[in-house]
Amino acid sequence: MANTNYDNQMISARIGRGLKDLLGDSSGVMAFVGLILLSLFILIAIFAPLIAPYSPIKPSGAPFLSPQWGHIMGTDNLGYDVFSRFLWGSRTAFVIAVFATLLAAFVGIPAGLFVGYAGGTVDRIVTMIMDSIYTFPGLILAIAIVAMLGPGVVDISLAIAVVYIPTYYRVIRSQVSTIKSELYVEGARSIGAKNMTIISKYILPNVLPSTIVVLSMNIADAIMTEAGLSFLGLGMVPPTPDWGYDLANGQRFLLQNDWWMVFFPGLAIILIVLGFSMFAEGLDEYFNPNIGEKR
Amino acid sequence: MKTYILTRVLLAIPMILIILTIVFVILRVLPGNPVLAMVGPKAPPQIVAAMEKEMGLDKPIIVQYGDYLLNIAHGNFGRSTLTSLPVIQELMQKFPATLELTIFAMIVAIFIGIFFGTYAAYYYGRTLDVVARVYSIFVYSFPVFWFGIMLQLIFGVWLHWLPVSGRSSPFMIPPHVYTGLYVIDSILNLDWPVFVDTIRHLILPSVTLGVVISSIFVRMVRSNVILSLSSQYVVASRARGVKEKKVLFSHALKNAMAPILTIMGLEFALLLAGAVLTETTFSWPGIGSYLISRIAYRDFPAIQGAIVFFAFFIAAVSILVDIINAWIDPRVRY
Repeated sequence: MANTNYDNQMISARIGRGLKDLLGDSSGVMAFVGLILLSLFILIAIFAPLIAPYSPIKPSGAPFLSPQWGHIMGTDNLGYDVFSRFLWGSRTAFVIAVFATLLAAFVGIPAGLFVGYAGGTVDRIVTMIMDSIYTFPGLILAIAIVAMLGPGVVDISLAIAVVYIPTYYRVIRSQVSTIKSELYVEGARSIGAKNMTIISKYILPNVLPSTIVVLSMNIADAIMTEAGLSFLGLGMVPPTPDWGYDLANGQRFLLQNDWWMVFFPGLAIILIVLGFSMFAEGLDEYFNPNIGEKR
Repeated sequence: MKTYILTRVLLAIPMILIILTIVFVILRVLPGNPVLAMVGPKAPPQIVAAMEKEMGLDKPIIVQYGDYLLNIAHGNFGRSTLTSLPVIQELMQKFPATLELTIFAMIVAIFIGIFFGTYAAYYYGRTLDVVARVYSIFVYSFPVFWFGIMLQLIFGVWLHWLPVSGRSSPFMIPPHVYTGLYVIDSILNLDWPVFVDTIRHLILPSVTLGVVISSIFVRMVRSNVILSLSSQYVVASRARGVKEKKVLFSHALKNAMAPILTIMGLEFALLLAGAVLTETTFSWPGIGSYLISRIAYRDFPAIQGAIVFFAFFIAAVSILVDIINAWIDPRVRY
């Protein structure tokens, strides 16, 4: 089970598997590094107003300053401090990614639980629908939804959430369909336990660990998708600090060789995605210690 | 074989219907009136009503749904509200650019995958192997547009080696367009300067997209070659004194190739999502750029057409990959 069960289309799942490949038995180290990266970004997101040297939405100096003392990541075309936007951008990323992930989980997990438990025709139909959404490129689906709903934290989160519902559904459903034929479930049924009791007391606790792993993988992917949407100009409205928007904005001035405007926002995305993937993979290892996947 | 192809095509129909339905729900049922979005909130109600009638939005939703499916089945994607041209015509004009980009990106990815993967397997556990493994982790965490911008910066702005945007320089398009794929057209026209210009424009976008999706190929080739290197036929051919290079590439790799085709099919959705971002990054005039630019104009027939087109494209590729797979490997049958 473990990893092979998780979404292969998820970037974070793939990163995690690669890391496990690289580090082998020392994956505890990986989880630790992931945790440190994550905690760092969470702290940055919480304390951004205190750490950031300038306001992210007010000019703080001359435009196009290269990285230097006082502006360690330089300034952009409006004189905004790139470092301050780098820090504040983590808030936008977290808020949208966490909101989207929770939304997707709230729909996908119960759907997977009940449909997987019910089985039969309902199962076949719902699974076919979920699989169809799953095979369609998530970003393009999110683009369509955002195009209709317009920009805004809730709308973007909703668009991203829809994309990831099938991920939860598939993971949970496939586990439920194995667990429901286990002896202890059969035992519970034979002493007359109600379906709801079986689902909540016997099945849910068994699928919960993998749900947590998928949640943290999902946050990484949601951050990527959000950055993609705002890079395309479909994300948060400027001047909200947002890494994807900053990248698109910086690209307009690329010919002037202002590399700092594009390098640092991308670095932030890479670090946060790596952090979540490492953490998720470490968690997986912790919850499923016996699964040694030889590759 | 014929029955297999027929079954495979029939199986794709429910999937396409589901996607079409989801697109319909998103674009027609979700809140947000397309007409109001186009003409603005201050437009007189008569005009709004007239436009709604013209677009068929005054009918009951279920009738609209039926019309929508019928129109798509007839290849009628409506007219763009921006250019008044039929959307299908605009899409067909943009499609070769997207196709060219995705084909070349796939070639780059497979090339990297085969060479890096095979050598990593051969030097299993040594430096090159570790490099390959680190590569596949990092490449995944790259946002494709960021990687594209970095390549533009290095090869376009710093080194001035390659153009950073568009499909061709001004006046450098093939004189006779046969396929719309400029690489092929320039060869058919025997136009050497246009061919060079086309390739120069193609390198950065296809490398960007190719590298970002290459890591799954590296990983798959590597693990498959590792497996086949320990097999008996490899030991046997080594014992017969076959040269190492030949053992590696014609025995070990050949037997490890089978899964690559399957991954190609599975990776295609990821490739297309990446293509939308890559096209925007490099101002590549394909369907992705078309979709994004029309969102700004609230050109709903165009938005809907582009997304439906992507759905058909994915379905077609997955059918094609399955058929080729069945053709190569006779064990694959329903």
